[in-house]
Amino acid sequence: MNLTLIDWGIITAYLAGCMAAGVWMKRFVRGVEDFAIAGREMDLNLGIASLAATELGVVTIMYTAQLGYEKGFAGATVGVIMALAMFLVGQTGFVIQPLRAARVMTIPELFERRFGKGVRWLAGLFVVLGGLLNMGIFLLLGGKFLVYATGLPPEYLKWVMTGLLGLVLLYTALGGMLSVLVTDYLQFIVMGLGIVITSIIVIGDIGWTNLIQKLWQCWDGSATGVGQTLKSQPFNPLHSSNYGWGYILWQLIFQTAVVTTWQTTISRVLACKDEHTAKRMYRRTSFYFVGRFALPGLWGAAALVYFSFNGGLPEGLDSLTAMPAYLCKILPVGLIGMVIAGMLAAEMSTDSGYLLTWATVIYNDLIMPVVKRPLAAKTKLLITRSLVVGIGVFLVFYGLWYELPGNAWDYLAVTGNIYLASVFTLLVAGLYWKRATAAGAYAALVLGAIGPLTFLVVNQVVSKENQIRPEVAGASSFALAFLGMLVGSLLSHPPSPATAKPEAAV
Amino acid sequence: MNHAFPFFWTAIIFLSIAWYGFLLFYVGYKGGGEIIRMTRDLRKPPPDSKT
Repeated sequence: MNLTLIDWGIITAYLAGCMAAGVWMKRFVRGVEDFAIAGREMDLNLGIASLAATELGVVTIMYTAQLGYEKGFAGATVGVIMALAMFLVGQTGFVIQPLRAARVMTIPELFERRFGKGVRWLAGLFVVLGGLLNMGIFLLLGGKFLVYATGLPPEYLKWVMTGLLGLVLLYTALGGMLSVLVTDYLQFIVMGLGIVITSIIVIGDIGWTNLIQKLWQCWDGSATGVGQTLKSQPFNPLHSSNYGWGYILWQLIFQTAVVTTWQTTISRVLACKDEHTAKRMYRRTSFYFVGRFALPGLWGAAALVYFSFNGGLPEGLDSLTAMPAYLCKILPVGLIGMVIAGMLAAEMSTDSGYLLTWATVIYNDLIMPVVKRPLAAKTKLLITRSLVVGIGVFLVFYGLWYELPGNAWDYLAVTGNIYLASVFTLLVAGLYWKRATAAGAYAALVLGAIGPLTFLVVNQVVSKENQIRPEVAGASSFALAFLGMLVGSLLSHPPSPATAKPEAAV
Repeated sequence: MNHAFPFFWTAIIFLSIAWYGFLLFYVGYKGGGEIIRMTRDLRKPPPDSKT
């Protein structure tokens, strides 16, 4: 155990402040719209804080550090591509502008106007399935970080996970998006401080030039007694030992789909005051996503160099847990409390945002379309709050028994793809292609989910050398979804002139 | 070793640290004001339609 009384004091003060702010916001919730999208009152800087905090959790730090450990600095290429996609979408308003103008609460709600109720329901089901599977490993990875970074005994992992989730559930279920926004803001500050401090300490500890040289030696195996501890060329993402062209091309499409379709990101677009604010929020947050991969990637690369040149990775550690174990060794007493508070902030902001988003989709797109009689506002709120709690319980159990088939980033990308490929296709076709029909939408939804679901099932049962590569599963789902939309639409009757106009969706 | 890529990642990492540091203060200051305005607006009764 590496925490002193001062560290615990910092962590307790942060948790108490966060909980107080989250619970305090409950008084402003007037209905489901306030609960789910903050009454569309969110302004630019609060949007930046919320978007950045939600999309940067401990799970993000863990998988991006794992990329740094396995692929060197080139592991952060995904972040550069994501930032580029986000900036371009913010500049052009591609998808997000008409989506915000439509005044919907969720993406599937938009599909009902263009393709009918059935497509909305099925799309909602896919969004929830992909989202929950994706979120399933958040607690596990978050808990692992905290256990390894603080030196807590590993058997405390499930208690750390459960306790953390309990705190998040309390304020998210009470105040919804309003609590999430305010706690995201606090968490953005504490988390940012933790990331900046840690990055400076890591560079100071290992030395920049030393890190570059030793990272190269880990790859070419020229250091005496160390050998080749890195299998990927650490700086060039296009090198055949690193991502290579195929993966990079898949990521270009995938990241464009993420920034226009990922429901937790889009929830911030829908909560903005107007379309103009949403576009500015995207442009100004875009570079944050480079650091989201590059800075934890730096910690992961430094962990690789540290362990490679100090007797190798100790038993019980792997590419995922090497980074927190390394931080545990270099962070000075007194500062580790600040860094742990920052990581707790990252975990809590992500969990709360995701819990709320998937609960809103279940409520808005799976339950409400099949409810025959109007519900009272209090009943609607009670349903949404119960869903938040129900998802939390699911996460604790799923997170405890699921074993990752590959590295964490590939799992997240592929589970996200269950709905990203199909919903992205539906969004683009629904907004920009007059000939798109409901038949095409159904075909895209079903075909788009085949690739990632096959990946998850097959890779659980076959040996490692026969496993499907993530870029193959991912790219095929996009290709199949587009093909389904194209063929399904052209083989069915054209939509009526009233619904055929892309503006009908808006 | 080709030095272009290490130089690129050096720039990316140091710019990221600088950007995170800047946003910490800028968004910290501006975002606080926006929370106060948002809670003030939320105290008002909800209008019939919103954009």
